[in-house]
Amino acid sequence: MLRTRIIPCLLLKDESLVKTINFKNYKYIGDPVNTVRIFNELEVDELMLLDIFASKENNSINFKILKEIANECFMPLSYGGNIKSIEDAKEIFKIGFEKVVINSNSFNNLKLIEDLSKYFGAQSIIGSIDVKNNFFGNRKIYSHHGTKKQSHDLVAWAKKLQRAGVGELIVTSIEKEGSWNGYDVDLINSITENVQVPVIANGGCGSIDHIVEVVEKANASACAIGSMVVFQKKGMGVLVKFLDPKIIKERLK
Amino acid sequence: MITIVDYGLGNLGSIQNMFKHIGVKARIESDVDKIKSASKILLPGIGSFDTAMEKINKKGLKEVLHEKAIKEQIPVLGICLGMQLLTSSSEEGHLSGLGWIPGKTLTYKNQINKKIKIPHMGWNLVSKSSESELTQGFEDFEEVRFYFVHSYFVKVANEKNSILKTSYGVEFDSAIQKDNIYGAQFHPEKSHKFGMKIFKNFASI
Amino acid sequence: MIVTEPLSATHKQICSKCIYDERVGGINFDESGECNYCKQIDALTLDYGTGTQKGNEKFHKILAQIKKDGRNKKYDCIIGVSGGTDSSFMLHLTKKWGLRPLAVHYDNTWNSAISTENIRKVLSKLDIDLYTHVVDNQEVDDIFKSFFLADVLEIDASTDLALAEVMYRAAWKYKVKYVLEGHSFLTEGISPISKNYFDGKYIRSVHKIFGQKKMKTYPLMTISRFLFWTIFAKIQKIRPLWYIDYNKEDAREFLEKTYDWQYYGGHHLENRMSAYAHSVYLPSKFNTDMRNNTLSALVRSGRMTRKLALEEYDKPPIIEKGLVEYFKKRLKLSSEEYELIMDRKARSWIEFPTYKKTFELLRPMFKILAANNLVPMSFYIKYCYPIKKSSPK
Repeated sequence: MLRTRIIPCLLLKDESLVKTINFKNYKYIGDPVNTVRIFNELEVDELMLLDIFASKENNSINFKILKEIANECFMPLSYGGNIKSIEDAKEIFKIGFEKVVINSNSFNNLKLIEDLSKYFGAQSIIGSIDVKNNFFGNRKIYSHHGTKKQSHDLVAWAKKLQRAGVGELIVTSIEKEGSWNGYDVDLINSITENVQVPVIANGGCGSIDHIVEVVEKANASACAIGSMVVFQKKGMGVLVKFLDPKIIKERLK
Repeated sequence: MITIVDYGLGNLGSIQNMFKHIGVKARIESDVDKIKSASKILLPGIGSFDTAMEKINKKGLKEVLHEKAIKEQIPVLGICLGMQLLTSSSEEGHLSGLGWIPGKTLTYKNQINKKIKIPHMGWNLVSKSSESELTQGFEDFEEVRFYFVHSYFVKVANEKNSILKTSYGVEFDSAIQKDNIYGAQFHPEKSHKFGMKIFKNFASI
Repeated sequence: MIVTEPLSATHKQICSKCIYDERVGGINFDESGECNYCKQIDALTLDYGTGTQKGNEKFHKILAQIKKDGRNKKYDCIIGVSGGTDSSFMLHLTKKWGLRPLAVHYDNTWNSAISTENIRKVLSKLDIDLYTHVVDNQEVDDIFKSFFLADVLEIDASTDLALAEVMYRAAWKYKVKYVLEGHSFLTEGISPISKNYFDGKYIRSVHKIFGQKKMKTYPLMTISRFLFWTIFAKIQKIRPLWYIDYNKEDAREFLEKTYDWQYYGGHHLENRMSAYAHSVYLPSKFNTDMRNNTLSALVRSGRMTRKLALEEYDKPPIIEKGLVEYFKKRLKLSSEEYELIMDRKARSWIEFPTYKKTFELLRPMFKILAANNLVPMSFYIKYCYPIKKSSPK
């Protein structure tokens, strides 16, 4: 049977890797290519690379560094960060990435997703939604790295993305990001209950228990992990690592 | 030297990269004449069946591929969509496939209950259904798994053409072979050490 | 020796006791053919009582003081870690001794998975916290490149010095007074001063001339910082392996068995820059193969015969596949540029501004600091004496 995918999610800023907490206070992690090389040596199942400021600052995609990264990898790679057209996506796939992640650019342009899906196939497109609770505790969607509030209803938007042709969704809790105390299980569940495409949970993972929890309670198909793969422990120094494969096998049958 | 056919779709860079890593020479070719001189062919593919067949038909590739695979009988490996193209048809589209291995490409939508997500995406186990040069050395690993991502699956008409099987809702053929023609539904170029084994074996055929 | 002929076939004089040959800077031989470095090691062994009851007692006294000074603090000592044998084994020892260490790592962004995994495994099993300083990858590549362009040997000097500075910073942050280092003169020998010199001014000078990017995240240890840490903050540098018995091969076996630790095939090969420096750069451009450090140490301590050591030395060093390509890629060098620079004449640290003269001037002060463990004795021996004379006993 299919094993739950555990996906290290790395954040790219200019030519360096960083890690954020609640999408803020980014901390320097290291050289992207060398870090990816280490993950390759650790034989992780999959990697996601997000250029966090690309859309916000409308930067062009750094194809050069993406190529260097892809050359080091023999597992599936996804890239997200200001993808605006079929040409952008084509170039990214040509470089060696499997999937593209679309977030900010989908809001004014669902047609982008439709076109990409039709041309490359739904399985190459991941729709990304970042969520934060507002003052009244209601879930609100934010784009452009947490800076722009969107007016769509969360579940309705997820369904729209599905209809437009995404192969999967990644749902990130901005509040939980970098917290090490678990995914927002309710948030993930609210999406998985209403869509057929696989949902990747993101934001807050601190241990294998959290992964088991969000898979069992919220039916997440995959889990993205951030802080866990770049820090030794919560609050401690940078150390690139992955979960023990024996433990993964045991806990996620 | 492996010739990776560039007909406009597929993860060519990654495939070439993995061959390079294991020390096997591989070139990417779209030109019909260059493909004519190939000694081993790899047919990649990501995307939709009809788009792929259209491109192959349009670029005059269909004839040269037929020549190499069926007449000259050089080793051919189709990957992912490339494997689906080896069959006669797909429920994804209307066009005919290359038809080199009798079988059909079917949709997951009819076969499985709603609980399972489409596409089949992630790492899954394979088990041998028949012996093949492509799958030599699998005993070295405790378990063998590959990275899959597809919404349609293949069922061969003749069981002996199935060399690996995988279960995802329904049991399907994850790798197939008929004489010199091989197919792998998964992505060897994205399956690190397992994929390298497949590519090494193909290079040694 | 790594070249075309075995060392023994050349007519270079080789020490009768170890395998240092006449090319080693500052070396001289007595009537029996024994080199001054062997004598130096003997003197240190006597002084520190290495592996004897005297040494053990000396060390346990220090240990008691560390524990005393560490009461009511989160950590009582700092250990610099790299994923290598010495530092990994030190971690194990500190737990055995009942200390509460903080592991400190300087990440120059060229780590291999073996080093990060070794660090992770040992720290996790021993439940030790990790403090890391990661330098910006573009900045550090610029520093490495400036050393490469300067044609000097010390291409990895910035890493060694940065770790020292980062350990002090961690000590300062957590109010810890002791930094424990895994250096062992028995297994590593003492690198001759003529090669592998490093200090903050040297790094800054080379970078100023050949570098392009401003140093912002790189932790440069200037002399004022050095003096601050040693005189004002009074952070002591302790080298336990100078007092107690230590066998590197046994340590390695133990680590493998207990922590699933992995050996990376040679001294300092767990980091790609130091691997490049030791396996490719130094041998090719400087005719220096520093494996004679470890091998000589093994011969001196009787763990390897001189004959075997010379045979080992004659074998070419292990080079990871793609290492040179990776080096060129990171430093943005074309193959032509790379070959051109590698073929150029080597230069020496002497040609650049350094703190050397200042260290020599301050020798009396450093003598006192060394006696109080505030600077390593090896620093005093190596840096505070003019290089023309041979090292003192």
